[in-house]
Amino acid sequence: MRNIFTIAQRELVSYFTSPMAYVITVFFLFFTGLIFTFSIYQPGAQAEMRGLLGSMVFLTLMVAPFATMSLLAQERATGTLELLLTKPVRDVEVVLGKYFGALAFYISMLVLTLPYPLILSKYGDLDWGATWVGYLGLLLAAAAFLAIGVFASSLTRSQMASAGICLGVFLFIWLIGWVSYLVGGEGSTLADIAKNISVFEVFGDFEKGILDSKNVVYFVSLCIVSLFLAVRVLEMRRQV
Amino acid sequence: MIQVEGLTKYYGPVPAIMDVSFRVEKGEIVAFLGPNGAGKTTTMRILTGFMPATLGTARIAGIDVYEDSIEARRHIGYMPETTTLYTDMRVHQYLRYCGKLQGMRKPELADRLDLVMDQCGLSERRDAIIGTLSLGFRQRVGLAQALIHNPDVLILDEPTVGLDPNQIMEVRQLIKNLAGQHTVMLSTHILPEAQMTCERVIIINHGKIVAEDTPENLTAQIREVETIVVEVATDDGSVPRLLQDIPEVSSVRRLPDESRNAYLVDTRLGTDIRSQIAEFVVGKGWGLLELRPVEMSLEDVFRQLTTEEKGVA
Repeated sequence: MRNIFTIAQRELVSYFTSPMAYVITVFFLFFTGLIFTFSIYQPGAQAEMRGLLGSMVFLTLMVAPFATMSLLAQERATGTLELLLTKPVRDVEVVLGKYFGALAFYISMLVLTLPYPLILSKYGDLDWGATWVGYLGLLLAAAAFLAIGVFASSLTRSQMASAGICLGVFLFIWLIGWVSYLVGGEGSTLADIAKNISVFEVFGDFEKGILDSKNVVYFVSLCIVSLFLAVRVLEMRRQV
Repeated sequence: MIQVEGLTKYYGPVPAIMDVSFRVEKGEIVAFLGPNGAGKTTTMRILTGFMPATLGTARIAGIDVYEDSIEARRHIGYMPETTTLYTDMRVHQYLRYCGKLQGMRKPELADRLDLVMDQCGLSERRDAIIGTLSLGFRQRVGLAQALIHNPDVLILDEPTVGLDPNQIMEVRQLIKNLAGQHTVMLSTHILPEAQMTCERVIIINHGKIVAEDTPENLTAQIREVETIVVEVATDDGSVPRLLQDIPEVSSVRRLPDESRNAYLVDTRLGTDIRSQIAEFVVGKGWGLLELRPVEMSLEDVFRQLTTEEKGVA
């Protein structure tokens, strides 16, 4: 537990000593700000976070590969991984430490978007319940994306390859929802499956303020499976 | 302190090391000597728990490195071959990070940090960002991170590789100063390094241990003849033939340097016929320029062992 904290802390500090963290933060905040501004100046705009949260989940999907690509791939490429893995630290602690470091960075970025709902609630009648559910959904989606990113980063020593794998997986779980429209909408089993594993569809519920345990389970299991696989990849070198 | 028995590691069908066994006692400094690709790094990676062996066991301070890997690692300070560090961290930050991962508590860590930085000559670079340090200083940081938790065993993989001659001397001196406090095992393919820093040498080649002894014993064991260099001023071509006629001389070879009339004269082990040769050369009026015994270096031993695969252990 202490090791996870030590590693996470180092990762978080290292984000802010590299330009990547600032590029990602600026990118994220610039576009959320832009979308927020456009949306409130629309005639008849409602005081709600729905549209913005939807855009934020998409922006998260765009930045997560870049936020996670260096975590393990860089250590593997430069050789620092050998030093880390010969300390009295378990592989799972290394993976979780890296993961929580990335998550802490994301949360610090997300906190900077809180002025948007605050502005909305000052000048309008914002449904805070729905907003918090939306944020929870965003956080869960980000947690899943970052976990997938950690897994992608464990696979290769090339950061670009890691980001590439990551984006591929994200687009797949984002767009899989379209399958449900292709195969005839409601009713067919295939359409149901596609809908239930599409981030776009699952997040849609959170965005509307609906807290459904099946959606929470979806994101949490994505996290667990990805992190488990990342640990397995690290352990592969220990094969006899 | 280090006990290795029958260690074998295959990478796919290729054996990297075969049936490697050795012991290192507490407080010893031992060199693991071998050409590149002999299996030094593989052995060290197994000892440090980075990867398992296919067969055999290794114990550090009595703890099996595979069965109880985490516990064994607490007793080891490891410096890998390429000392790669987090280049974005400051020296003291990085060392503190390593100390924490070794399970050290704050007050203990603070004391140890000052001591280790002092020991490795890093006190003035405490706040430097590792990425801005020269290779020599990075190597010291690498050594400092291995020392931070005051481990029983230090495993240093090629600690001087890539350094300039001055830095090499500094790092060697540092390692020598650690003798007694820690058990040190260092790998190298540079012979003088092994000779200068270590009490005992284990020579490994093609994944097998070919010799193990003190540097002095190794050179003594391998030597079969005494060799003397004789250089004369004038040579009418009869010098090698007449030298050969001295009863104790077993062979005479000309040194490759054409500009000199220098010969290598081999005699039976344990004989010293220098005065006899001197008299002989002076008597012939050839003009004696040089006469000295040739010491066999560890380098010759090494070459002989690793090229002819001749076991002496």
